[in-house]
Amino acid sequence: MKTSAKRILPRLWQSMERGGITISLAALLISLVCSAVILAVCGYDPLEAYAAIVTGAFGSQRGFAQMLTQATPLIFTGLAFTFAKKASLINLGVEGQMYMGALGAALVGTLDLGLPSLLHVLAAMLSGVIFGAAYGAVIGILKVKFGSNEVVAGVMLNSIATYIVGYLLNGPLLAAGSSVAQTEKVLTTAQLPRIFARYQVTVAIFIAIAACILIKWFIGKTTLGYEIRCVGLNRKAAETAGIRIGKALIVAMCVSGGIAGLAGVNQVLGVDRRLINSFSPGYGFNGIAVAALAADDPIGVIFAGVICGILRAGAMELNRTTGIPVEFVDVIQAMIVIFVSAPLLIKKLAKVRDVFPGGKKHAAAKEA
Amino acid sequence: MQIILTYLIPILGSTVYMATPLIFAGVGGAFSVRGGVMALGLESMLMCGAFCGVAGSFYTGSTAVGFLCGILGGTLIALLHAILCVRYRVNQVISGVGLNLLATAATTLMMQVIWNNKGSSEMVASVESMIGGPIPILNVQSFNFFVMLAVVALGWVTLFRTRYGLRLRMVGENPKAASAVGLRVHALKYSGVLICGALAGYGGAFLSLDQLNMFVRGMTAGRGYIAVAIVILGRYNPVNIVACALLFGFCDAVQIYLQGQGVPAQLIQMLPYLVTLIVLAVGVKRIQPPAGVGKHETD
Amino acid sequence: MNVVEMRHITKNFGHVTALNDVDFTVAQGEIHSLLGENGAGKSTLMNILYGMIPPTGGEIRINGDPVVIRHPAQAIQMGIGMVHQHFMLTPVMTVTENIIVGSEPVKGPFVDYRLAAKRVQEMIDRYGFGIDAGAKVQTLSVGEQQRVEILKALYKGAQLLILDEPTAVLTPQEVDELFNVLRELKAAGKSIIIITHKLKETAAIADRVSVLRGGVMVDAGLDASRCSISDLALMMVGRRVDLTFTRRSEAAGEAAYEVRHLNLNVRNVPVLRDISLQLHKGQILGIAGIEGNGQTELIEALTGLCRPDSMELYKDGKPLHGTASDFLRAGVGHIPEDRLERGLITPMSIEDNMILGYHNRSVFEQHGVRKSAGIRAFASEKLQEYDIKAESVLAPCSALSGGNQQKVIIARVFSEDPDVLIAAQPTRGVDVGAQEFIHNRLLDLRDEGKAVLLISADLDEVRRLSDRIAVIYGGRIVAESEHDVWDEMELGLLMTGGGKGGEPA
Repeated sequence: MKTSAKRILPRLWQSMERGGITISLAALLISLVCSAVILAVCGYDPLEAYAAIVTGAFGSQRGFAQMLTQATPLIFTGLAFTFAKKASLINLGVEGQMYMGALGAALVGTLDLGLPSLLHVLAAMLSGVIFGAAYGAVIGILKVKFGSNEVVAGVMLNSIATYIVGYLLNGPLLAAGSSVAQTEKVLTTAQLPRIFARYQVTVAIFIAIAACILIKWFIGKTTLGYEIRCVGLNRKAAETAGIRIGKALIVAMCVSGGIAGLAGVNQVLGVDRRLINSFSPGYGFNGIAVAALAADDPIGVIFAGVICGILRAGAMELNRTTGIPVEFVDVIQAMIVIFVSAPLLIKKLAKVRDVFPGGKKHAAAKEA
Repeated sequence: MQIILTYLIPILGSTVYMATPLIFAGVGGAFSVRGGVMALGLESMLMCGAFCGVAGSFYTGSTAVGFLCGILGGTLIALLHAILCVRYRVNQVISGVGLNLLATAATTLMMQVIWNNKGSSEMVASVESMIGGPIPILNVQSFNFFVMLAVVALGWVTLFRTRYGLRLRMVGENPKAASAVGLRVHALKYSGVLICGALAGYGGAFLSLDQLNMFVRGMTAGRGYIAVAIVILGRYNPVNIVACALLFGFCDAVQIYLQGQGVPAQLIQMLPYLVTLIVLAVGVKRIQPPAGVGKHETD
Repeated sequence: MNVVEMRHITKNFGHVTALNDVDFTVAQGEIHSLLGENGAGKSTLMNILYGMIPPTGGEIRINGDPVVIRHPAQAIQMGIGMVHQHFMLTPVMTVTENIIVGSEPVKGPFVDYRLAAKRVQEMIDRYGFGIDAGAKVQTLSVGEQQRVEILKALYKGAQLLILDEPTAVLTPQEVDELFNVLRELKAAGKSIIIITHKLKETAAIADRVSVLRGGVMVDAGLDASRCSISDLALMMVGRRVDLTFTRRSEAAGEAAYEVRHLNLNVRNVPVLRDISLQLHKGQILGIAGIEGNGQTELIEALTGLCRPDSMELYKDGKPLHGTASDFLRAGVGHIPEDRLERGLITPMSIEDNMILGYHNRSVFEQHGVRKSAGIRAFASEKLQEYDIKAESVLAPCSALSGGNQQKVIIARVFSEDPDVLIAAQPTRGVDVGAQEFIHNRLLDLRDEGKAVLLISADLDEVRRLSDRIAVIYGGRIVAESEHDVWDEMELGLLMTGGGKGGEPA
């Protein structure tokens, strides 16, 4: 066991030097291990917990559908964050842009325009994207015109969006006779079709995957994508090359905000079929974990979103069978974010784990 | 005149009170940034301080122990931040944001474990306020008012008059030069972040022990990010930071008073965040952070 | 007695051997010149002595005792002081603060600023440095800043001073002043090591010379008075170097690029004052000047990167204005001063960098979509043509050496066939082989009838290549004439604002 590890490790270091998938997977693994340790310290059984997560996601049709339902918004928010990162922008305002997108979709979705199904859905989606993009552009403009720190601006705008939507839902947009802060139901012509009749997962999952592929193409194969990358990697060199920095940054934030808006669109047109106050359990911030796991690659976001979807769907099962709170999954995701950005730390930790070549299994075998 | 006495003085008193956690976090943030490490993890330090403060008070029944635990909590998460940023050269923004996420999740988790309630903890011992004293504005304050004043004064003196402060600032401006001169760059950077954690931890404990007597899920509500804005606007100087913090404290205080007046709650609650945004836009342009923020002594 | 003895010093960076079994000795109270080209290993050797990097092998003795130096703090304690090529000063702090940090006079935990200022001023007066101890470093000139660095070392008790390329940023007059200071210090019993690649200065100031080439000590401890400059050059480079120059332009054509009344104020300080220049076809106009006299802003104005307060700019007789991309499209090529900052995006591939700035050309793009095949073919062709040593066009630019990186920029700019070329510091940090290549290409471009503006802090480069020379000082063109009107001393004088010039601007 040890000799084969010795041969694998140098090659692992080499591929870690290049960053990317190896780091993400290593970070995932280490996060799972650390979380297992935390669970054990709190008095729970880590193996039982992880088994519950996996059964939760794959053990039943309901679980599998739930996994896809959870993955959809995460793919959108992860993609939004990833795209902004290409321009070297940290878009923490994804949560707010998502709410604005939801608002946009709800406004058009609840309106009776006499449109056939396809057009109504598209119109509502477009509305959501525009609202999200416009809200994202605010951060871009603040950054370009005023030099504001986009991280703080994003967080502030999140709160502002939450309050604006909250105000509207308790007032002008409140559904007649409803005691809960929510809008009217979205008209059937504007609803996103569900894949399985019984579960909430909609065709939005395909839209999400298509969006990832489209963005990957956009970044690599279009001039605008190239310019955004240049601005993200070396602003001064881009400027010297005649690239308009302000335009690139604002476009990046618009696209990022629009994608985030799609997460809100999915929630309103597909999942809830209405805009419900505070519908997000933190999809925006979890998008950061998805982006981290995806190693900043749009196609990777698909897989990372699915993995996080597994974690979230599994966590609900976890809560049912073991009583461990759902927030445990948030802890894992936070650790992923940290470890992905610390390749040096991973190497250090991996050297320690060298002593236990099989990892957890080896330790467990020793105890047995 | 009556109006002023009835409304203005309580609002001013409230302003100072609401600004206090921001001041603690802000002065701490100044130390961190002066040493060259961005303070985006302030939210996590406040959160951990708030949680540990309540936990400490819960288990021992003493608010004093609570405050100590708050300092400890903030310092511990600051240590994580320092290890990641200084030793392992993690992107400081990611480290800060990641730790903020971790703190939010971990504290909620711990609340479930300790009190079986994810929304809030149990009530704990309260801190006495100084009602009935000679100065009306101080009516709303507790002994922490004086702690805050001491922190600001000590913070300023330490940064600009002591040997430690000079060395810390040098490290933050130019870590290569500092290293070439023989300063222990890593140790100084760590110290800046740890002081930040300790102060922000105390500020968090103030939030939970002094203001609310309990820990509520996500109770720092973005104050850590507002503190980041305050640190920048205050030009990394404790005295200016107080002024900026008072501005936001004022918004917070006004917001609470206006809520009872019939204006829609949500629009008023937006006020501190909106003001932060506007000030960030308009006020930040010419401010230069220490030149060595985010840099290391070897590249 | 030998102040420093370094024996069998070896240093490896991974597979690269930077120093190979080097012996180096400095005697007490002498000025010793450590000579070599860029990349020969001089700075590496001294960084080892100063404790900034550990040696892979070998030993060091200070005053006869073997020592291990792992950190600059230890070197400072042993009386070794180093003045780096890139100053390690904090611009926003005062001279005093910069000097005392690390060995501050204290009263308890507080810094005794009054005592500190007194001590610093005393030293300034003793050695005649002429600076104000309370001034912020950012207000000082480059020469004054260098003196602050020397003071820093002296304040900490240095008996041995290491100066890394001290004259790189000085005019000939300032070099003389520096050398006077060094002679004062030598008279006071200090020992001095000067790292340099300048032969003339070695001849002027050094007692002894040691020559490094490719990480190997070619000859050490030579008596400077007995060496000729060409002998030293031979040792440094390994071949006879022709230091005089050859190709001049046959004939200058009409004005291709003309600027008049260029003015720029930055924060109410005039940075460019009423500058007027003419670039002619088939001619290289070289601008000599110490860095910081407005060159950067001049370049930015002439390439569309900034908007000056006033400027009349004509290309081929027609007015030109707009953004950087307008200038690029108009046929104005730009080789930036700092290739890593403005010239290249190093994490990106060579092919992506090869089209930077020109990526909208119809060869590379259509309807907003990139033409990968066209880009790849273009980049591969250029790799061959300019002899750029790289694995493939997909490799990141960060994997290239400085010289090859510069070649990518040259390839990119030259391929566009610009009518006007603004070349700033074209061979800074580039090894001698690439330097010759780039110089020849610039001359080729000129011979094809293009107009070239050469801005360089390397006076030798300006004098070698230019058909006409202009001098910039304090944001003004103070003189302009044919290339051979002034000698080096006169140019130096003009560069610092003194003396009479050719045609005043």
